[in-house]
Amino acid sequence: MSQFTLYDYVLSGNCYKIRLMAGLLNVAYDTVPVDFYPGLEHRGEAMRALNPSGTLPVLVAGELILSETQSMLGWLAASFDRSGMWYPVSDAGLHAQVLQWLGFSARLTASVGAARLNAMLDWPTDIETVRGAARKDLDELEVLLTDRVFAGQTWLVGDGPTIADIACFPYVALSPDAGFEHDGYPAIRNWLYAVRSLPGFVTMPGIHPLHELREAESDG
Amino acid sequence: MSRAYALNDWYAVADAQVLARGPRRTMLLDQEVTVSGTTDDLRVIDAEGSAYPAQFRYGHVWTSLGDAPRPLFDIPEADEPGRRLVPCGVVRVKCSPLRAVENFLDIAHFPFVHTGILGSEPHTEVAPYKAEIRDDVDEVWATKISFYQPQAAKSAEAGGDTQYLYRVAAPTTAVLYKTCPPKPEAMDVIAIFVQPRTETECDVWPWMALYDDVSAFAGLVQFQQEIFLQDRSILENQRPVKLPLDPKMEIPTRADLTSIAYRRWLKSKGAFYGALTEDA
Amino acid sequence: MLTAPVGLIRDLDPKRVMRAQVNGQDLVVWRASNGDISAWDNRCPHRGMALSHGFVRGNDLACLYHGWHYGGTGVCRYIPAHPELDPPKTIKATVFSVAIADGVIWVNTQGAAEPAPVPMASQPLRSFHVVSHSESLARACRTVAFEGAFPEQLEQGLYQLGARQVFLLENPLDQGRLQITALADADATPEGCAALSRWCEAVRRSAQEEKVAA
Repeated sequence: MSQFTLYDYVLSGNCYKIRLMAGLLNVAYDTVPVDFYPGLEHRGEAMRALNPSGTLPVLVAGELILSETQSMLGWLAASFDRSGMWYPVSDAGLHAQVLQWLGFSARLTASVGAARLNAMLDWPTDIETVRGAARKDLDELEVLLTDRVFAGQTWLVGDGPTIADIACFPYVALSPDAGFEHDGYPAIRNWLYAVRSLPGFVTMPGIHPLHELREAESDG
Repeated sequence: MSRAYALNDWYAVADAQVLARGPRRTMLLDQEVTVSGTTDDLRVIDAEGSAYPAQFRYGHVWTSLGDAPRPLFDIPEADEPGRRLVPCGVVRVKCSPLRAVENFLDIAHFPFVHTGILGSEPHTEVAPYKAEIRDDVDEVWATKISFYQPQAAKSAEAGGDTQYLYRVAAPTTAVLYKTCPPKPEAMDVIAIFVQPRTETECDVWPWMALYDDVSAFAGLVQFQQEIFLQDRSILENQRPVKLPLDPKMEIPTRADLTSIAYRRWLKSKGAFYGALTEDA
Repeated sequence: MLTAPVGLIRDLDPKRVMRAQVNGQDLVVWRASNGDISAWDNRCPHRGMALSHGFVRGNDLACLYHGWHYGGTGVCRYIPAHPELDPPKTIKATVFSVAIADGVIWVNTQGAAEPAPVPMASQPLRSFHVVSHSESLARACRTVAFEGAFPEQLEQGLYQLGARQVFLLENPLDQGRLQITALADADATPEGCAALSRWCEAVRRSAQEEKVAA
């Protein structure tokens, strides 16, 4: 049964966060494709009536209308994850760290995300500033993920995947679209691989499947 | 670099929507040009203010920088009643314009690059098909192509064998005709109009002429954008960046007959802009 | 130095693929399911696609573009478009010599890989890129303090940081970049390694800023 409606654009890393989280939680939903590009439909009156900020995605579940991806991820986990793993609110320290990474994910949208739109769609932006910020954000993430390697951990927070990983994953994985390759970032590479290996993982253009053989085939 | 042949071809440099938003300053064959006006009153000028011919066809503004432009190719399906004409915006790709066209002509990559949409393992086999240079129209054609697709079009819910026909109408324009699920007697038309900015960077304008009255416009555009952006990450990672015309440089198989014909055709015409030639 | 360090084996688990560069040669470095590590020209002979975007199946590397499979010797073993075809042995990726020593992956593009000696009992620290040159990096290593004291350079690449030691291996890349593979002394705790990793990052930033200022 469909649990919500996502106003969606297929090339948007932010929309993808929600599609990915829904896939990982095995939650069914409907999509309404919005002509973000080239039509700029998200800035039109019909979409602004739903979301005055004129951004995508928009999530609608009954009376609830959400327009920020962090809140959507929190809502999805709180509503559909019975394990409590994805959004560990019962531990104040873990909860705070998740919120910190959600803040970092917004920085990634403004840096890598903006550089990507510019490189792909010639989207107007202050490209030098944005590219500088993107490089700094990726460098910072690499160091923090290297810390996790020494702690024997795979994920950003605690000992399992959380919405923090899902919030940060898309624009890091998509950074090669803007010319930021992952060659110099081994910790990022291994973290991306871990996310891509999660059951229920879904792809988007620029993020390829692992093309792993299914068990039955690999036995043969 | 040889612009000589390329100069006399026509290139898409804007669509109606872009034009309506104001002048578009862009790059064509290493030269800056600005497109402005309306679809009825077009203006294409270079940085010095020199004007170039312009025409509005297939939802796009076309221009040519040469002294003796060849006629713009014909896509007769564009005028068939009942088809929805769907311009899909423009996407920048750091690759040779010729590599972009060659990728568009390729089906063997569907299971790996367009996984779950245009192809899927284990349905990877490319059955024999026919590719030829048609001297009478000076085009490359590939026919009798059939390939298994899990979701062949926006309007297709299930998988099945899809029939294709490819046509290279100009070195930077490729058109494909494929099975149209809601109208079995007709074929959908999907094209890419490649605007060569330089030999190693292009703006690609996908365009479709479909029989599909059901799908929302945004959904049709996004289906095509999803496919093309999957290709983009391949195109930006091919080396050398320029398309090698020397048959020794890359190894084709039977599945690459269209690509072999395309490269041979480019070579015979001297269409070397974006190509790596033996003496280069 | 013909044999160059391209990264840490800790960072390349089985079934993983990465890109590297040695002496200007673009490389795919990948690890088969059985643990074997290979370094090849980063180019599928079919259509020139970077093999570093490929995926590992069993002990083959497959190109992302058309799924062509290559075995450990570089020979093409399977072409999905023609499943019945036994690919000609002439379809082959260019293979280079690889050696593993001190947890470091070494590649030589012109002969047999011969790892350089590491002058201490070591453990992997981290591998990173820096937009700088050798001299700036060495200067940064001496001038970026660790736990309140300036490191002492013991020999080329080897630094004493209080009770700790760090050994930095350099591999020049294109575009004015260096790839650094950093090792820590074998006695460092995980917390100690994290601190040394942070010091490396401060060194990296300092060397880059000097480059910008120059």
